[in-house]
Amino acid sequence: MFKNYFTIAWRNLSRNKIYSLINIAGLSIGLACAMLIILYVKDEVSYDRFHKNANNIYRIVTQSIDKSGAKGHKDGNTGYLQGPRFKQNVPAIKSFVRVQSGSQDIKTGTEIKSQELLYVDTSFFSVFSFPLLSGNPVTCLNEPHSIVLSEDAAKKQFGTTDAIGKIVMMKEDSAFVPYKVTAVAKKVPQNSSIKFDVLLPIKESAEDAQNNENWFNVFLNTFVLLQPNTNIQAVETQMQRFYNSDSKSAEESITQKYGPMGWHSLYLLQPFLEMHMSTELPAQNGLSNASNPMYSYILSGIALFILLIACINFVNLTIARSVKRAKEIGIRKIVGGDRKQLITQFLGESFLLCTIAFLFAIILVEIILPVFNDLANKALSVSYLFDAKLIAGYILLFFLTALLAGFYPALVLSGYKPVETLYSRFNLGGKNYLQKSLVVLQFALASFLIIATFTIYAQFNFLTTINLGYDDSNLIVVDKWDTKHDKAKLFKGELLKDPDITGVAAKNGGMWSTIAKVANDSTIFFEYETIDESFLPLLKIPLIKGRNFSGSFPSDSNNSVLVNESFVKKAGWKEPIGQAVNFWYDNKKYNIVGVVKDYHYQALNYEIGPQVFTMKNDNSYGRFFIKVKPGSETASLKYIQKTFKELFPLSPYTYTFKDDENLKDYEAEAKWKQIMLFGAVLTIFISCIGLFGLSVLSAEKRTKEIGIRKVLGASVKGVVTILSKDFLKLVVIALIISMPAAYMIGNKWLRNYPYRITQSWWLFASAAIMVIIIALVTVSFQAIKAAMANPVKSLRTE
Amino acid sequence: MIKITELEKVYRTEEVETVALNKLSIEVKEGEFVAVMGPSGCGKSTLLNILGMLDDPDDGSFVFNGIEVAHFNERKRADLRKNNIGFVFQSFNLIDELTVFENVELPLIYTGVKTAERKKRVEEVLDKVQIMHRRNHYPQQLSGGQQQRVAVARAVVNHPKLILADEPTGNLDSNNGNEVMQLLTELNEQGTTIVMVTHSEHDARYSHRIIRMLDGQTVTENILI
Repeated sequence: MFKNYFTIAWRNLSRNKIYSLINIAGLSIGLACAMLIILYVKDEVSYDRFHKNANNIYRIVTQSIDKSGAKGHKDGNTGYLQGPRFKQNVPAIKSFVRVQSGSQDIKTGTEIKSQELLYVDTSFFSVFSFPLLSGNPVTCLNEPHSIVLSEDAAKKQFGTTDAIGKIVMMKEDSAFVPYKVTAVAKKVPQNSSIKFDVLLPIKESAEDAQNNENWFNVFLNTFVLLQPNTNIQAVETQMQRFYNSDSKSAEESITQKYGPMGWHSLYLLQPFLEMHMSTELPAQNGLSNASNPMYSYILSGIALFILLIACINFVNLTIARSVKRAKEIGIRKIVGGDRKQLITQFLGESFLLCTIAFLFAIILVEIILPVFNDLANKALSVSYLFDAKLIAGYILLFFLTALLAGFYPALVLSGYKPVETLYSRFNLGGKNYLQKSLVVLQFALASFLIIATFTIYAQFNFLTTINLGYDDSNLIVVDKWDTKHDKAKLFKGELLKDPDITGVAAKNGGMWSTIAKVANDSTIFFEYETIDESFLPLLKIPLIKGRNFSGSFPSDSNNSVLVNESFVKKAGWKEPIGQAVNFWYDNKKYNIVGVVKDYHYQALNYEIGPQVFTMKNDNSYGRFFIKVKPGSETASLKYIQKTFKELFPLSPYTYTFKDDENLKDYEAEAKWKQIMLFGAVLTIFISCIGLFGLSVLSAEKRTKEIGIRKVLGASVKGVVTILSKDFLKLVVIALIISMPAAYMIGNKWLRNYPYRITQSWWLFASAAIMVIIIALVTVSFQAIKAAMANPVKSLRTE
Repeated sequence: MIKITELEKVYRTEEVETVALNKLSIEVKEGEFVAVMGPSGCGKSTLLNILGMLDDPDDGSFVFNGIEVAHFNERKRADLRKNNIGFVFQSFNLIDELTVFENVELPLIYTGVKTAERKKRVEEVLDKVQIMHRRNHYPQQLSGGQQQRVAVARAVVNHPKLILADEPTGNLDSNNGNEVMQLLTELNEQGTTIVMVTHSEHDARYSHRIIRMLDGQTVTENILI
């Protein structure tokens, strides 16, 4: 019996090529997307699970609580004291590891590069399970000048992983000192939040370890290993009790120095396994790949959309084709087939189709995995596919899809009455509300994604083309940390000797923010920028009041500051010039000599905040902005590198173009833009091939009607209109449904940006017109063919 | 074998009510060959569908082989049908996607006959209707006469007690038509009861008895032998 089912299923597939192609193409794409997402989600939830102690590792985190008892933001950072002191005083804590990120210059041959690394405690390899290729995991970090390299780093440094005992030169203060390789670690799994190429023992002075004020100096991650089956709440209470008493004296001395703190820390434990996907307490500060579960949800949503749309194609096309198959069903019933056997047969067909689609999907996954990895920021490999749980997941997916697509048609088809199907009394199910609503659903999903994509594109375009308030064109940025003012002047003078370089300005590296008091005793939090007198003119940042720093005012170097508009607004000044800013950290007053027009000093994901600019001699510079003539970039870069190496032979040289650097701020948006584009293209494509299939079947069903209309004088145009109108109506309904949804969700997304587009009507109109045109082209293709057919022929065959 | 008494069947659409069978009573004995004649719309096909248990009557009694089946549910009817009744249609009704052999094999599959036995019985019956040489062809590759011979083969492969034929020669030329009538006659001579609906007086003459219908009722019965 099954051979018979298979035979007829196979012959049906091979005979109805368009139908089979549409279904197999749609289902393979849908299944491939679903498989990729399963892979993605599996990878997400597997993060950090490879550690033997994973279930007993926690990160020490804090939550601020103010005087009124209101709980504030949570912080994953801790300092030198938390690990060792809690371990000593809370018995359930077996051991602790502090993980501090940093970078140090490293010599490879004659080349000097800045090397990202982690400073960790000696217990690192006993708390975490990172296997070593060679070396002793217990003692490898005992000596202060020992260094652990990853396989890759060892190869890069020495050309071999056999590196134990070899010497690496690392810069400490201003000289290179030797570090001895004590272990080589295997490549860190890609689903690890802790990634490293170089590990050094944490550097903590005896003074730091003693200073109780360090309770409040937080800049690293502290992990603790607890005894199995520990009551976490009890541990947290013990930690809190100890902290309250131990930090008391420090709090008092700080209050004396700076005034009351106004808040207090609550100590909590975050399970290590929850860290990867936590948005509240993400993996940061040297930990990698913090993920937002939102990504998983959106990706899964898109994949489900696509699979659902493909299944709808199957259901709709199968039922639409049933006019043709009705006869077969009637015959089968007459010669003795009962309903159960027919359901089995039709489900068998859907399983066969799904099996073929499934095989294609696996091939598709292999092909698109690299693109997907790039889109989703992953390093998934095909070998991941061969995992028992994953295979079980795929088999489940396969069965679900085959049942979802096949069950309803099987139920409907097997219910046909043979008398009706065989005596042409058969009329396909009335008004086909189900079929119509499924088409509406498909197009609603597809147009939703299209509008969403348009919105993301518009916002991305806005973010990347908006006037930043300064000129970032032809601007090369060179980083040189900790450059004193005289050295900076020398560098600038050398650079300006190149006629292609039209200007150079210096600024501090990174972001430095602090607080200060202003006249009415209010405190303002601001970005503290150290610049030179060329910075504002070079970047074409206008002053709206007062004057720029100038060499002719010697006091500018130490007593004057500039502020930006936001600062003035925050301070509530009408006349800012001449006002004073009272710095908290050195308790010194600085006079305001000018007001800088607000400019976007950071990505547009952030609002422009108050800024204070100084030219203070004690503050060193970290970045140089070099303006070059358009077209002279290559030659200028060569000159800049040469000059840099002459002046700073021991410092690593890197450069970027400021406009490229700005674009990098929107990498996440650029990724989502691509993901949504893929999703939208796939859904509209699968929806359209489904619509095409339906229009083919509808034209077939209406052959006689078209013939009669033509005999009675209908034009080709008239017939095309009749055939297309029905489908277009559905697409229009779909648009009416999807537009408000897309508007609301788009609006919600845009609210994440302080600077954003408004969702204008043309965005929706252009998406709607696009969807309608695509749908029209799809259905009219078949409608025109049907309308052009010779009516005599169609009427005769009826 | 068949006894129907005061059988009624009414088709209703939203506005129109058509009486297809109006208190019809007929009896067919085992081994008989009965032709049912009458103008279009007189209820012939409805009668055949009820006899074939494809449709159920609204009222009246239908006794098949001594069992009252008028109110059997679909499953019971299907069971009874597949073991006792074969059908031959005017438009052949072969499944286009199956070969000659597979079309004939179908009823045996549904009654659960084993593969080897199926092969033997299909070949036997294909031989009998002289279509063995076309066993691997698809219906579209055959002439109308050949297709109807396949349909007859399919109707008899399960050794049914009753064959219901609905204008079996309606789509055939006279030569092919005669061949099919000859086949039916042979089957009848071997003991199969046949009820045949036809418009053709010529075909009706192959039968033992002609029932003439009008407006859902029998008008006359002519006994030919």
